[in-house]
Formats: sequence, C-alpha cells, structure tokens
Amino acid sequence: MIRYEWKKIFERRLNIIAMISGYVLIAGCVFSFINGASFYDKETDSYVEGIEGIRLEQERAKEKEDVISEEYITRIVKEIQSYGMDLESDEAYMEIIRPMGDIFYFTAKNYTDMREPYADRNALMEIDLTDGAQFYRQRMDKIRDYLDMDFSYGNYTKAEKEYWIQKAENTIVPFAWGDKCIMDMVWTTIDIGFYLWFVIVICVSPVFAFEHESGAVSLLLTAKYGKDRLIWSKIAVSVAFTVGYLLVGIVPGICVIGLLFGFSGIDLPVQVWNSVIPYNLTAGQACFYHLAIILLIGITVTFFMLFCSARLKSSLATLAIGITVLIGPAFFPMSKDNGAWNHINYLFPVRAVDFKEMLGAYVSYTVGEWVIPYMVMVVIVYLAIGTAALIFTRKGFIKMR
Amino acid sequence: MELVIDRVTKQYRNKIAVDRLSTVLKEGVYGLLGANGAGKTTLMRMICGIARIDSGEIRFDGEEIEKMGGRYRDLLGYLPQDFGYYPNFTAMEFMLYIASLKGLDRKFAKTRSRLLLQKVGLISEMRHKIKTFSGGMRQRLGIAQALLNDPEILVLDEPTAGLDPRERVRFRNMIAELGKDRIVILSTHIVSDVEEIADWIFFMKQGQFIAQGTMEMLKSHYFKVTQAEEAEAFRLEKLYLYYFSEDFDREREELLFGKDGVHDKI
Repeated sequence: MIRYEWKKIFERRLNIIAMISGYVLIAGCVFSFINGASFYDKETDSYVEGIEGIRLEQERAKEKEDVISEEYITRIVKEIQSYGMDLESDEAYMEIIRPMGDIFYFTAKNYTDMREPYADRNALMEIDLTDGAQFYRQRMDKIRDYLDMDFSYGNYTKAEKEYWIQKAENTIVPFAWGDKCIMDMVWTTIDIGFYLWFVIVICVSPVFAFEHESGAVSLLLTAKYGKDRLIWSKIAVSVAFTVGYLLVGIVPGICVIGLLFGFSGIDLPVQVWNSVIPYNLTAGQACFYHLAIILLIGITVTFFMLFCSARLKSSLATLAIGITVLIGPAFFPMSKDNGAWNHINYLFPVRAVDFKEMLGAYVSYTVGEWVIPYMVMVVIVYLAIGTAALIFTRKGFIKMR
Repeated sequence: MELVIDRVTKQYRNKIAVDRLSTVLKEGVYGLLGANGAGKTTLMRMICGIARIDSGEIRFDGEEIEKMGGRYRDLLGYLPQDFGYYPNFTAMEFMLYIASLKGLDRKFAKTRSRLLLQKVGLISEMRHKIKTFSGGMRQRLGIAQALLNDPEILVLDEPTAGLDPRERVRFRNMIAELGKDRIVILSTHIVSDVEEIADWIFFMKQGQFIAQGTMEMLKSHYFKVTQAEEAEAFRLEKLYLYYFSEDFDREREELLFGKDGVHDKI
C-alpha cells in the first residue's frame, strides 16, 4: 500500500517540478553563500572572495583571541576610542570597522539597547574605561533594563523576569571566540528549509483531495483497509516524504560546506551571534535545534495540509491555504498595545523559522506561575496542532455525505 | 447470507433521495431499474457504507453493517459509477493497489489479478498505463477490481456503461455466473442489461420501489395493467416505459390491482 502512495506523490508532474525547483534553490543558495563570501584582507587592502576568501578568514581567525575576556574587549574599545571618530562615518568604517571585522559589531551590539535591531556603533565611544569595559556586567545590566522596561503591549511578569535573569546569569562566561563564518553559512543553509516547506505544501495538498477529485474515494472507502490502514499509509508516506525531502535538501548543502571548509566554529557558544542569548548552547547545537525546528514545523505543516486535503476535498483550496499560512503572517504587523496578539504572531511558521533572532528575543509565555520560553512553546504549539490535525484528518476523509 | 434493507431514508437538503426503502436480499442477481435521479446510486452507496443513512438500517446476517466496519467491507465488491482511476498506474499496478487495500496477500493478489484481467480481456494490456485506456477498457478494469476479493456482496453501479455490445454480452454472462452464490446488485437504466440475468428486478422512482418482482411476476402484472394481448411478446422495456411514463399513477394502480407482490412493501 505504502509503495503505491509513494508512487502517487512522485508521478505528479507538478510535484516533480516543485521538488527539483526546491533543490535547485538550495544548490543555488549554497553556491552563492560560498561564491558571494567576501572578506577584507588587511595586508593587501583588498577583498578576497569565494572559497579563497573563506579560507583566508579561517586562517585569520586562528590568529585572533579565542576568548572574549574583559581585557580583550577593553583593549579593543580603547583602540576604537583612540581614533576619536564618528563611528557612523565612512572614514571610521575604512579605518576601524573593516579591519576589525566581526569583533567590532559583536562588541558594539553588546553596548546597544536591546530594542535596537542594529548595533549602535557610537555607543562604544561612550564607554567609561576607568574600570575596564565591563563587558559582561553591561550584558547583564542591559538584559535587566530590558526586562524592567515599560512596554505599551504589556510588561514582563515577575516570574518571567526571574526566569530570564537566571537563564542569562547561568550562561557560561567568558565566551569563546573564533571564526563563525562557516556556522553562519550552515545556519543560513538550514534557513532555506523554509522555502522547502512550500514544496511540501504543493506535494502534500492532493494526498487526500485527489482521491475525491478523481472519484477513486468510493473504491478506497469500500475496501477492507480503506478507512484505517490506507489513511495511516498516506500519513506515514507524507511525513516520510517531508522529513526525507527536507533532509535530502539541507544535509547535502551542509556537507558541501563541511567538505570544503570543515566545521570550524561548531563549538563556539551561540553568544557569538548575540551576546544576550541566555542559552548555554554551542553554534553546532543551535544549528541542530534549528534543523529540528524546521523539521517539526515541516511535519506540522504536513499534518495540517493533510487535514485540509481530507476535509476540503480540493487540492487547489488546500494549496491556497498552505501558501497563505506560510506567507500571510509575514505581513501581520506586531501590535503596539496587544501583547497577546504579538505572542501569537511570533508562533507563525514564518517567524518561528527566524530561530537565531528568537534565541535572544526573551519571548516567553506565562501559564499561571509557569514560564514557558519561546523555544519550548514552539514545540508545544506545533506538536498540539499536528496532533489535532492528525486526529481530524481521518474523520475528514471518511466523513460521509 | 442475507442483506436486509430496513426502512432506509436519505435526504439531501430538501430532496428525499431514498424514501423508507425496505427489502431483503439473498443470493442472486438483483436489478435496479430507474431513471437518472431515482435514487439508485444513493441506495447503492448506502449499501456500500459510503453514504450516511439518515434513518433506518442495513444489516448483513443480522448485524448492522456500520458496526461490522472492515469485516463488512471485506465481503464487499463495488464498482461505482464514474469510478476514479490513477492515470499513471498500469492496469496491473492498479489491481495490486486495490488488492492491498482489500488485504490480499501479494502473491495471491498477483495471481488473482492476472486471472481477472484475463477474464475481462485486459491481460495483454496489463502493463499499459490506464491513461491510455478507452472508456470501455477502464470500465472492464473497474469490474475486475470489484471481483478481486471474491466478494459475497457485489454492487455494480451502471457497470455496462461504455462497453461495446460484445463486451456487454460477455459481462452479462459473467454476472449471471457470479450471482449463483452471492448477492449481486446491479443498477442500470439500460433495461436489456437486467432483463436476461436478474433474478429479481426493482423499479425505482423518486426514492421508492414502485414495483418489483421476478420476470414472471412482472410479465403477468404487465399484461394485467396494460390489458395487452397475451400473444404479444413481453419486453421488460415496455413495463419500464409504462412505469416511467408521465401518466403513471401509482395510487390508482395500487387501488386497481392491490398489492400483488409486484408493488413494494415487503
């Protein structure tokens, strides 16, 4: 039975076109990550691009400090301040920022208000270095300030504040430092899983609906296993297809990066991406969780599509709903006065896939005294939606008129 | 073996498709005659468990079919009107797929599929994709799939649609043979299809059986109501035209001839 369900998926021309397009997109993106990488070489005062540029960056990383110590940051800030420039100026970019590279932005972001999406470069000029740069104290201070702020859409509860402060304080410091460009590429490759969800929506939409559209449903539902094993076979094949398609798309992309450059930076803490992240995870672990979230949401989207396919009995209507669910929420604005809406908005696939951003966003949900961090909530919500869709899929398919 | 249809009713919005129908079916071929929209397909779908029964029930050997679930479906062979097919499947793949749904062992399914494809004259086409088949070939494939599990109840909705005269004859013979040890319910609006093979014929109109009986019963009834000469050759088609003419008045007929077994209410 399962064999024939696979056959149905792989024999639709639209499915094949969508699947190939998805993989071409992945291949194109990985190629452009590698080919488009560009790093400034201080010695030659030029940019080195592509594989050569990445290798140069890896070599240079070996010469850098491998720990973000107070002394290291103090030294950097002192050097920056010694120029006495407006750090937003082109001159400062050429003289200071470009040669320093990542460490400049990483440091500046640590001294920038958490509500600001970009690093406030000039914040570095205002640091009082009498007692050193106080990098880690500043990190905790700004986290506390953020949690204590008055937000028009609602403030953090006492329990949430305690929860997040404890998480942030428990982060292992000082942070290790090194080359993170490879892990950035790995991360972005996993991000492309979002686009592969569209392929899944296209391929899964007709699973049940086509049986109605073709009229085969009468044959199926009058067969011995038509109301049980057939349905489970369709679900199992759809899930296997989802997981397989995502992994076959993402994993080779990661392997190509690994084969070319190794996985340097895999052991770096996630704080190299944003110092306020309150989790003790390495970049490698975070990439793994990111992939797991992509798979989880992909599976839930599959279950939801199967439910719509069984219920609506129309591939096109199911496809339209799937595309809307994936893209639509990207246009939902964050509310200025409705925290509840914002908390729901964060959970849509298009936002949940922005995992790196959400790691340091301090979004949590309170149920009584319980504080559920965003990462856990995503898992709970998608598991719940998936389970509910799964239960009602069978009912929808066998529902008699 | 006994299939009891007990006061079943089915309503779609304001239209009553099947109206308190009752009958008992045992081994044999049952022909269901009626114009389009008479309720034949709805009744068959209810017998197959794919249309909800609004009231009444259908029992097989004393057990309600809905409660029997998979056990009942295991006894069932169904050829729907306009059955759906998978264009990229070959005939053999289609048969094996349906066989797997019917829970047949793969080895047995292969043998059985070959046998049935042979029987319906598709063995030489078994590796061809269904999308290349003509309407008649697809219909024959549909008949073959319905027989895969050697069903005890065979429900065929317009089975001869699209078949050429030779195929139709071959198919009639096949049905007559099958009806010896199972319940075969055959729905059609082609009178000649049931004339020769049906052991019992139902005339269905507006969701009700307006007449039913063996060919002999219907014949005698026909001469009674039309007062035609005995010498005149009886053709079921004439009775069909009589029942489905606009002038037909059921109440009047019942009043004149009573419930002589040809009318409903078993």
